[in-house]
Parts: sequence; C-alpha cells; structure tokens
Amino acid sequence: MHAIPAFARKYNLRCSDCHEAWPKLNHFGQTFKDNGYQLMTGRDAPIFQQASYFPIMFRTMPIWHRESDNRVPTDIVPGNRASGQVETTLTTHAFDISGVDIWTAGTLYKNITFAVQPAIDNNGKAHLETYFVRFDNLLNSPWLNLKVGKFELDTLISEERELFLSNQGGFYQSYHFTPIGDRTSFGFGDHQLGAELMGHSRNSYTRYSFSVLNSSDGQPNSVSNSYDEYADFTQGFELPRLGLQSIGVYGYLGQRPTYFQTSNGAPLANAGLGSRTFSRIGAYGLWYFGKFDLSTFYMHGQDNVFLGNGVPANEPSKLPLAAAGPTWNGGFVEAHYTYNPQLILVGKYETVQNSRPANPTVRTALGDVKVWTVGYRWYPIMSSRAGLAWHQEYARARTTGTAPLTGRDDTASSFLMGFDFDF
Amino acid sequence: MNKLNLRFAILVGLAAALATNGAPRAGVAAPMPNPSVATVKGTVRFQGTVPKPSRIDMSADIKCGQTKSGAGMTEDIVADGGGLLNVIVYVSQGLGDAKFDPPKEPAAIDQKGCMYQPHVVALRANQELKVVNSDGTTHNIHPMPNNNRELNQSQPPGVPFSMTFAREEVAIPVKCNIHPWMHSYIAVFKHPYFAVTGKGGTFEIGNLPPGTYTITAWHEKLGSSFQKVTVGESETQTLDFVFKAQAGS
Amino acid sequence: MRIAHIFSVAVLMWVTAFCPAQESKVGNLTGHVKSGKALYKRYCITCHGVHGDGAGENAPHLDPKPRDFTRATFKCRSTASGSLPTDSDLFETISRGVFNSAMPPWRPLTRRQRVDLVAYIKTFSSRFQEEKTAVTLEVPSEPQSSPESVKRGSELFENMNCWSCHGKEGRGNGPSAHTLTDSKGYPIVPFDLTSGMQLKCGDSSQAVFRDLMTGLDGTPMPSFSDALTTDQAWDLVHFIESLQSPGGKRSFLAKLGAKRD
Repeated sequence: MHAIPAFARKYNLRCSDCHEAWPKLNHFGQTFKDNGYQLMTGRDAPIFQQASYFPIMFRTMPIWHRESDNRVPTDIVPGNRASGQVETTLTTHAFDISGVDIWTAGTLYKNITFAVQPAIDNNGKAHLETYFVRFDNLLNSPWLNLKVGKFELDTLISEERELFLSNQGGFYQSYHFTPIGDRTSFGFGDHQLGAELMGHSRNSYTRYSFSVLNSSDGQPNSVSNSYDEYADFTQGFELPRLGLQSIGVYGYLGQRPTYFQTSNGAPLANAGLGSRTFSRIGAYGLWYFGKFDLSTFYMHGQDNVFLGNGVPANEPSKLPLAAAGPTWNGGFVEAHYTYNPQLILVGKYETVQNSRPANPTVRTALGDVKVWTVGYRWYPIMSSRAGLAWHQEYARARTTGTAPLTGRDDTASSFLMGFDFDF
Repeated sequence: MNKLNLRFAILVGLAAALATNGAPRAGVAAPMPNPSVATVKGTVRFQGTVPKPSRIDMSADIKCGQTKSGAGMTEDIVADGGGLLNVIVYVSQGLGDAKFDPPKEPAAIDQKGCMYQPHVVALRANQELKVVNSDGTTHNIHPMPNNNRELNQSQPPGVPFSMTFAREEVAIPVKCNIHPWMHSYIAVFKHPYFAVTGKGGTFEIGNLPPGTYTITAWHEKLGSSFQKVTVGESETQTLDFVFKAQAGS
Repeated sequence: MRIAHIFSVAVLMWVTAFCPAQESKVGNLTGHVKSGKALYKRYCITCHGVHGDGAGENAPHLDPKPRDFTRATFKCRSTASGSLPTDSDLFETISRGVFNSAMPPWRPLTRRQRVDLVAYIKTFSSRFQEEKTAVTLEVPSEPQSSPESVKRGSELFENMNCWSCHGKEGRGNGPSAHTLTDSKGYPIVPFDLTSGMQLKCGDSSQAVFRDLMTGLDGTPMPSFSDALTTDQAWDLVHFIESLQSPGGKRSFLAKLGAKRD
C-alpha cells in the first residue's frame, strides 16, 4: 500500500496530513490505516461520497538510472568462450520505468474495508499484489479487526512505503535475506495469503496483530496444507519535546516442505512432506526528534538444518558433516530529515550477517551484505488531489565473497533520479 | 486637543415605549448645552413607488398571533409620504480622535407580537442594550456581527437579558431563529452623533462641534450614501438624502 | 429561580498585557505558536486556509465549511455564548474532531502537538489578546433520570420552542428548519435528535448539558443559560436522550465519546 491520492480526494486532505513525505506514513496516517482507511467522522461509508467518486489511483516512476557491478564474469575475448573469463566492472545507464501500481481501496460499507492492487511490472506483466477484505471495529471495538486475503505483514516499517527506489537501495535486505544454499522461499516483505486479527487503541499507540498464513509465501493456487503464524506488538509513547516514539516486536514462525509426494515418480506440488520450520523474530523502532527521525530494525533469522542445506528430511544422510540450522542477524538504521512537508532528506545503512552457516565448510561470512543509501525527495506540489515527487538517490551494496570467479567481495551501486507521480 | 467630554442619553432605546414609529429618534443634548454647537437635520426621502408591505405568516407559532399589538407586516422598506423610515444617519468622518464615554442609561429593544420593536436600534459602544420579551412565546436573540462578538441566547417570556457591543459597526443584523421572519438591525457608534429616521423620514443630529463632517445615511436594503457638510458655530444645516427604488423591486 | 446574570461583552474586554497570547495551556502542557505554525501548515491549511479564515483550497467542496478562526466564534465551548473558548475547549475539539463534517479527530497527534496547534490558532484573531477568557461553566452532577424528569423535559421542549427547529418528534424537521443559516449565510440543518449520531461537541450527558447552557455559537442553536435552571436543563437532557432509539446504541457511543485523552 503506497500513497493513495484517492483517499486525499475522498476526505479533502493533503498528502502531508497522512504522510510525513509520501509514501512514508506519519502517525495520523498509520491510525487512518489501522481504522480501515476510515477517519471515523461518520462519513466513511461510501454512501456519503458523490456517486461519481471512484476509489482508484495509480503510481508510476519514469526515471534515469545508472547501475554498476564490479565482479561480472565476462569472456576475455568477447564472443570467444574458450578465451577464458575474468571479473570486470560493468556499468549501464538508461531511462526506465518502474512499472505501474494500480490501487483501489476504501470502504464497501461502514467498517468494511477493501483493497485490491494489481501491479504491472515494467515489462507489462501484471500480477495481484494485494487483495483483501477487512471487517473493522468488530463488536464496536478498535481492538478487533479481521482481514482476509493477500496482504503485507503488519509492521510500522513497511517495504511498500519505503522512501528508496533504486535497484540496490530500494528494498530491505533483511526482509528478503536467505543464506547461500538455503531453499526456504520466504520474504518478510512479501505479501502473504491468510487471515489477520489486528487491534489498536483509539490513537494507535498500542497495536497488536496475529496472522495465520499459507505456507506458500503468498503464492495463490497452492494448497500447502500447512500454515505459518505471525504476530507483532507495538507500543508508542511520547517523550516531552521530542515527539512520539514507537517500539515493536514481531515474530514469524513458518514451515516449508522439504520433499513431496510423487505419483509415477513425478512430485505432486501441493502434497508437501517433511515440513521443517523457520523463524524470523526481531524488533523495530520509530524515533522522532522534531524534524529528524530514525527508523531502526533488527531481525534474527533461523532456518531448519534441512531447509538450510536444501536436503529432503527423509534423507538425512545427505546432510553435510556437522550441518546446522543457519542463523543470521540483520538490521538497518534509516534516517530522515523532513525539512518541510515538501522536502525530505533520507539515508539508510543496512547490514545482514550470517551467524552460523548451514554447512560448516562454507565460510561464515559468505553472503554477508552491507548497503548504504542516501537521497532526497522534493514534492513541488502538495495538494488534496494528486502528488508528484522528484527523487534522487545513490546506493552502494557490498556482498562478501560472492564474486563468482574469485570469491571476493562484490560491490554494486545504483544511482537513480526521476519523477514519482501518484494520481 | 479639545477633548469633548459630554455625556449623552440616547432616546433610541426608550423608543421601545413608542410602539409606533413616532417622533424622530436622535441623540439628545446633555444637561449642559453649549451655545456654540451646531445641528445637522434633514429628511431622507424615497423616490419611486414604495413596494407594498405584505402580511407576515406567523402560523408557525400560534402564540405569536395571540398578542394584541403588532402590525405583522414586512418592514424592508417603510415609507410614508415620501419619507423613508428606519434609516440610520450618522457622522462617519470629521470627529478625529475624539473619545466619548458610553452613557449609563441603557437602550432597549422589545419582542412584541413576534416582531422587533424598534426595527432599527442605534446605540453607543459599550452601552447596555436591554432586550425585553413581551410575548407569550420563547424567542432567541441572535445578533450576527462582523466586527463584534456573536452570541445567541434563548429568552423565555418575561426573562430579562442585556448585552453590549464594544466596537463600531453599521449595522449588526439580528434575527430570531425560532421565528425566521423577525429581523432587526443594531448600529453601534463610538460617538453620540447619530439618529434614526422616524415618521416623515426626518432626522436631527445636534450638539455638533463646528467643523466639516461626512454624514452617511444607511438603509438595510437600499444601501448607503454620504454627503459632506460644514457647520459653523450655532449653525443649523439641512441635508436631504434620496434613496431610489431598486430596479425590479 | 432563574439563573440571572448579565452577559456583558464589555466586561470581558480587557487589554491584558500579561496574558501570554503566544502560548496556550492545557493541563500541565504549554503550547507554542512556532511549533503550532509548522503543524498547521502540514495538517490544517488545506481546509482552514493560510490566513485561518476557513478559505483553504478544499473549502468550496465542504459542507459544513471549515471554521473561520478570524471570527473567534466557536461552536463547542465551556463558556457563555459570545465568549471565547478556553484553550481546553479548542484542544478537545481538535482531539475529538467534528462528527459528520470533514474535521477528523486529531487524537493520533501527540498531546503536545495539539496544544501547540491551539496556541497558533489563537493568533488568527486579536480577540484572544484583547479579551480575558470567560468563566468556565461547571457542569453540575447529573440527577438520576426518571419518567417524571423526561416528562418535564418534554414540556420544556415545547415551551422553549425547541420544536420550531428540531421538530415535534426531534427529527430536525421543525417549521423553521428550512430557513436556518449559519452566521456566514450557509444553510444549516438542526440536529436530528432521533438519529443516534454522535453530537458535534461530545456525546455524554454532560456534553449535552453544556451544549444547552452555552449554545453553539455561529449557528442558530442558542444558549439557555438565562432560560433554564440547572434542574430544568437536566430534565431537558433526559428528554433528549429518550428520543434516541432504544437499545443503547447511543449510550455506548456516549461512553466512548466521554473518554478524553
């Protein structure tokens, strides 16, 4: 869920009312979201809108970007495989488009919320990123809200609403990290399929959520006959003169099959066997000091030894000697300086470090990653109807030991500038 | 600077006792007449066909029809024999920075027969305005100023209520929300040089120090017009205003 | 025995050199204009306008219109009709929002942010510097409701001419209802007392009592402070509450609305 000018049009509020700098939500916007995209002024039900109001918006970004990677294996003589390979730095740059996010979201009725997001990538291929129905304020209480469908996991630091767009900086490494050789298909930032019970105090200082999700990382049409669980809890508190601070803890407990039933030797995709568990637990915080604020995130990841080594659970002899369940720790600090509602400076430093490898013969630090990103967004217009931003960003990522030929560190960088518009 | 420190009692408020639009209401001289003061007087006329007042339908509240007095006719434009009533005539320029203390005597406005009496009240800033409810039904007194504090007070029969206005304003519309046909206007002045035209459309502003003044005449529907006049010691100047019928009225 | 006190505008007009117009005080918090101004520009300017006159870019599309702060006339106060609101009154309105309008509840803003906004809003009218804040109405304790109280309230509803706007059944369809305008001349409708909707200035019995005794300035709803005794006002409150559909829908909302941050 990004920044939704359809809401601005429905409620006659500017982007800056709900977003510090869209798409990042401020606390008023977070409360609006927790209420089921309702302001609770008695006019949330669609009957109060003009019949011609249609809750649709789209967001897209025409940009220019430059990518560089210093460990790309290339033939020494182009076109001649036999000439041998060497790692070279490859730099490319071009205009590009980001794809289009189309959102329709709002209320079907008082306290019945919906959202549908078909996303079209920059090759024109569409998929359904989000779709859900949510029953808000059950028993007239903000502590009970039930969401069913495909949705992002509840957290105050959403990858959907990141202020970074580049190839290297535009996602959270921690949200997608899988150790080398690990077969677990899961991303903390991926949209999951299931049901979520969520509740919040009226001003959303206290929040909890509990979800039951398919063990399929959000893929539809996969009857996996097992379920993952996710829970998070956040608490806000005011510090005098500084503002609202929020801290949260979360945990995801999942399982994935390590082999499948077969029929005539062919695996039956929906009949998984030998499920083993994995977990992602951690904490996050939002820290506000006037115009300056920090988002901090920590994750401890752990996958089962069979998942970590890609070995079916019914063949333990295939495990390497002294194999273990891989563990890792990741986290980031993201800083923002909101000069005014129309200019924000951003920076981020993130690292994920393996703590225990699945295969003890593999170097522990293999696949560790460190990324730093800086940028800014300038919003030349700030209205209650649509949004436009000018974005510039530079990101540099260093991955330990993943250079394919030499096993050295791989450094990749992105520079991006362009327009981000939202109607 | 010659600080004028004269106190004036305003007959406007006491015009409530004059149920009919009788003698012209004006600022009356204090017990200390200064022989050198001047007077501006005259007539405000209406030119054209006076629109016929219509009877107001008060059936929404049967208690309104139960009081004995009350014309119950619309009062937008009231004229007799060419003279225009309910025009506020006042000195709008020429007094400089002179300051005047508000009088202790209150002005008054009555609600009678579900009509305001008088229809137009002119009083001094910070002078008490006594609001009387002589009817058998509850009214609410709701002045809607631009330059003063707005208030809205319910007033059952016989319950006294008073208010004051601190700033000059010509003129504050007053209404009763319960009886939507009721309208009156309150003009607030910092000085005593004003009058409201009565029968025949005549007015008289006395006790003016000699000088050059701009005199403005204001009517709730027909607008304002102004003229300059110079008066010498003990002089009386006559000034006439003419308001024309509006097109289509 | 009627409450007989004179509302004199002039008495409250003081030039108070020591009254800090640059600050607001709510509870133990002090709000500051400079912080409030930055918050106003983010959250409020789109409706209330850069000059605080209710002429923001969205104002033409809204009904009711955003408050014009330059007039210093406010609906929800704990002070007499015609008086300025207290800092707390403004804080409560910001926090609670105005139900059935475009004004959202700003409760998610921190208390300090809301108090800062109160300080900035007060700069839009010189009345906040010129006038001393009026005496706050203390809502007395509510007597138990009873069928007799409700019956007395219904007689008051008749005699005070409430029905002329609110209608004989309280549905907002009285004979004067279609003539009503607010003080800016925009049409305004009397509240439908049977609707079960939340009231704009709060839903508790105490809030209804306060609405009756202070009026909603800027609208046709008057203050009954000179017209009703305390007991009569409570009778009227009980009658008004009896107009709600039975089943406690409103009383639940009233309990929610009675909570304050």
